Amino acid sequence: MTRTNGQSRNFLKGMAFLSPWLVGFLVFMLLPIGLSLYYSVCDYSILQPPVFCGWDNYRLLLFHDDLFWQVMRNTAYYAVLVLPLGLVASLGAALLLNRKVPGQSIFRTIVFLPSLVPLVASAIVWMWIYNQKLGLLNAIIRMLCVPPNALLRLLHLPQFSPIQPPWIVDARWVIPALVLMTVWGMGNQVIIYLAGLQDVPRELYEAADLDGANSFRKLIHVTLPMISPVIFFNLVTMMIWVLQVYDAPFIISGGTGGPNHASYLMSMYLYDEGFFYLRMGYASAIAWMQLLIIVAMTAAAFWTSRRWVYYQGK
Amino acid sequence: MTYLGLLAVSAIALMPFLWMISTSLKTDEHLSDYPPQLVPVPTQWVNYKNAVMSEKAKFPLWTRNTLIIAVLAALGTTASSSIAAYGFAKIRFPGRGLLFAIMLGTMMIPFPTLMVPQFNIFEWLGSHTGIPWIGTFRPLWVPWWFGSAFNIFLLRQFFMTIPDELSEAARIDGCNEWGIFWRIVLPLARPALTVVALFTFMFVWRDFLAPRIYLQHPSQYTLTLGLQAFQAQNGFTPWNLLMAASVLVIAPLIVLFFMAQKTFIEGIATTGLKG
Amino acid sequence: MRFVLRSIILCAMAVGALSLLIWGPRPQEKLPPDRQHDVVIQYWEKWVGDEAHDMQMIVDDFNRTVGRQKHIYVQYLSISNIDQKTIVATAGGVPPDVAGLWDGTFVQFTALDALQPLDDLAAAHGITDGYYKPIYWKACHYHGHLYSLISTPASVALIYNKRIFHESAQQLRDAGLDPDRPPRTIHEFDQYAQALDTFSVGPDGKKHLERAGYIPMEPASNWYVNDLPFWFGGDVWDPVARRFTLTDPRVVQTYDWVQSYSRRLGQDAVGEFSGAQGGFNTPQNAFMMGTVAMEMQGPWMALYIHLQKPSMDGDWAAAAFPSAVPGMENVTYCPWDGLMIPRGSKHRVEAFEFIAYVNRQDVMERLCSMHCKNSPLARVSQDFLKHHPNPYIRVFEELANSPNAHSTMQCPIAPEAGADILAMIQGLVALERDPASGKVITPLQALQRNQARLTATWQNYLKQEQRRAAHEHSEP
Repeated sequence: MTRTNGQSRNFLKGMAFLSPWLVGFLVFMLLPIGLSLYYSVCDYSILQPPVFCGWDNYRLLLFHDDLFWQVMRNTAYYAVLVLPLGLVASLGAALLLNRKVPGQSIFRTIVFLPSLVPLVASAIVWMWIYNQKLGLLNAIIRMLCVPPNALLRLLHLPQFSPIQPPWIVDARWVIPALVLMTVWGMGNQVIIYLAGLQDVPRELYEAADLDGANSFRKLIHVTLPMISPVIFFNLVTMMIWVLQVYDAPFIISGGTGGPNHASYLMSMYLYDEGFFYLRMGYASAIAWMQLLIIVAMTAAAFWTSRRWVYYQGK
Repeated sequence: MTYLGLLAVSAIALMPFLWMISTSLKTDEHLSDYPPQLVPVPTQWVNYKNAVMSEKAKFPLWTRNTLIIAVLAALGTTASSSIAAYGFAKIRFPGRGLLFAIMLGTMMIPFPTLMVPQFNIFEWLGSHTGIPWIGTFRPLWVPWWFGSAFNIFLLRQFFMTIPDELSEAARIDGCNEWGIFWRIVLPLARPALTVVALFTFMFVWRDFLAPRIYLQHPSQYTLTLGLQAFQAQNGFTPWNLLMAASVLVIAPLIVLFFMAQKTFIEGIATTGLKG
Repeated sequence: MRFVLRSIILCAMAVGALSLLIWGPRPQEKLPPDRQHDVVIQYWEKWVGDEAHDMQMIVDDFNRTVGRQKHIYVQYLSISNIDQKTIVATAGGVPPDVAGLWDGTFVQFTALDALQPLDDLAAAHGITDGYYKPIYWKACHYHGHLYSLISTPASVALIYNKRIFHESAQQLRDAGLDPDRPPRTIHEFDQYAQALDTFSVGPDGKKHLERAGYIPMEPASNWYVNDLPFWFGGDVWDPVARRFTLTDPRVVQTYDWVQSYSRRLGQDAVGEFSGAQGGFNTPQNAFMMGTVAMEMQGPWMALYIHLQKPSMDGDWAAAAFPSAVPGMENVTYCPWDGLMIPRGSKHRVEAFEFIAYVNRQDVMERLCSMHCKNSPLARVSQDFLKHHPNPYIRVFEELANSPNAHSTMQCPIAPEAGADILAMIQGLVALERDPASGKVITPLQALQRNQARLTATWQNYLKQEQRRAAHEHSEP
């Protein structure tokens, strides 16, 4: 099939513009990616050259590694909690920050601040916040229980003792603790939502007002559809990020992924296998499994996006 | 009502940062207090001076190193990512979809698996081109000059919202593709470019993985590596100094963000992040 | 107005940045002018902060004295996670000349041929069997060859709060125990711990643990939970048969003992104390807050207490952590930090000059004193013992010399085994239940499960070793 003149000219033009990325990709990315695929079918300890071993790594990973499946469960549990909560919380924050109030810039900076705090500082803060006996979070829960308890006492009814979850030392609570910690640091998402929110045409809100819609209906029928592409962008980037989050679970479990592997997430498992146990071949197999998962999830997201994402220009 | 919500959100967001500042102002004895005092009395502002003047700390050196790398990275990625994004957004050519998918794919590959081969590539480049790479700043900023997948993705979304009619009009006037890019699209994209530059600057400012792997001399340390001077493994960590140093490290970023907010949040708005 | 303010600030920042760039200090990798022709040795260490600074002084001293004489210049780089950096650099063919790794990574590296043997060099410097305390000399060998020397070692002991003992003298005497001395057997230890547990009653009538005698998994003591079997006469690894022995009855007994604390105090209390009641390296360390009376820790504890809570300096003491085997005294575990020469380093002889310098008695004692650790050398000067920041350093020295001292398992998959066992212990301490039967998992069951898993991993490793050997033989 012969290319038309215009098409081949466009091809050259396209390649020209893409060239910075293409060169970078070919030099810094292609070989490492190819090698990583090769390593996944080898024994590779980094300190020794890789030795081909066929499907051994994949076979062991999928059929003989309980820990891998626990890591998958942990990561899935984490994703199921953090994706909706993160989307809703950052969207909520963005909606609040979108209102014209005095000091708007200051509030926005404050909300963005958590994503700037260096890990070494936030780590120690979170350990303290989550401490069962002495930590801030449980103290707040205790405080919140005082008024209801006082009321109960007044009515001569039995009072309840406030629940004081053990948070990061308990296998059941560590993932929720992690979710809270990471949602706190989602300043980037809030900024991107804010940008998207600015973009909703004012006329639509005015039309809704004329129709007698209240704030809630305006939110559902005007705001959300108009920013659906932004929601989509954040959803996809968050999905990718869930499989790559390392620092937070590392800090919160003291590097162990504990308690008893309850906070062991995919990226930590991969890193440990590769750099602590020097089984980089196995780690590469994990990496490629991870890639398959994220590609599947992203593809699913793209496929369902046709239903709910609305592009303004089209 | 909104104010209440804002205050609640801010309180949650601010809490760890406030704790950081509060710790940075404590005297040594009060560090171990339990429950910790929120407003330290006495307030020891001299901690900041001590952190900066400490014998172990070399803030001017680290700041300069970090500044060089971060500025070069931000400039490079803004330039190269916008060029590549224009190609993905505005030029229809065969294979575009495939290359875009591949580019997105590179975002999804976990970094630890790529670390060793990339190091070897830099080592090979160093020994075969006569320009040293390992042990210099180069691996920390040069790759940013070849585009970064996240930024290309972001800018591509943005460029796609700029109406094609503008480009068509310029084309009819005899402008070539580069001219359209340079004179029409880029000026309209200033807010998005600001976001890319700012976020990259912030990321590189706080990165420690790459500097730790590639730098080989303490005088090359960036700020986050330098912060380690205030830690200890089997010894005593001066938490107040560490927090003071950490606050100093992120202070420029906070100021930059505050200044740049208006530019990109409201500027991006005219066309937005859709497409 | 806003715009003006913004512009001023931005300009100020730009001016600041520019002046820093133009007139600021530059990275200085050049050697001093009179050392231009020296052999440059890259030395990478794992320490940060004060500890890194201490070693910097020693490096400077070397460069000034022996280095100047022999034309060797050591460049010192100390940063955390140095093992990752060393691995990547060694794989890339540009390793440091001296790497400051530790016992855990030592066996891994040696098993993969990533370290250079040091026997000839050590002998040439007079560092032979007899120069070190036996446990450390043995630990630096693998399959009969010397692959590392020590930078700073340690031994672990019982650290106990004398003041709490005296304050609770009545409770201790009531239990038939002596408040003026530490426990000498595990059985006694349990009795002391129980007598020292103090409870308060909450508003809901429930008993609440305020102070514990001992908590196995609290953030200071939990450093060495993996090594507790030594105090019970067992080991999880058989170095002769080269296999895991997690189901050895003495190992089971060890973790029965660990779990007994959770059973006695309840998993809530134990969880609370284990939960980073302030982690170890924070101002809210449990021992320093007085909420734990006894711990298993190393000699650096003295410096730690002295710097964080000097009011406690006279309140604590150290003694051998009691063992469960009658007649087995002075059991200890000896972790260590070492100096090694990675494969591919080009200046073996010069690198070893530096390592030998650090191992000179005066230098080593200075370093160990600064780091508040004991010395690895067989001979120890009176000055070292007298001026050491730890008033109980003799206890640690004696322990390191003991025939019942142990070091890390010489198994190439030690890091993985350690992580696996630690996770298992975390589950045992939390009184985790078997989802199928609903009953608490016993140490025997958990150990059996881990034994199976670790044996499979070990078999896999051996298979990989064979494949590698076959591959090497087939290569020209």
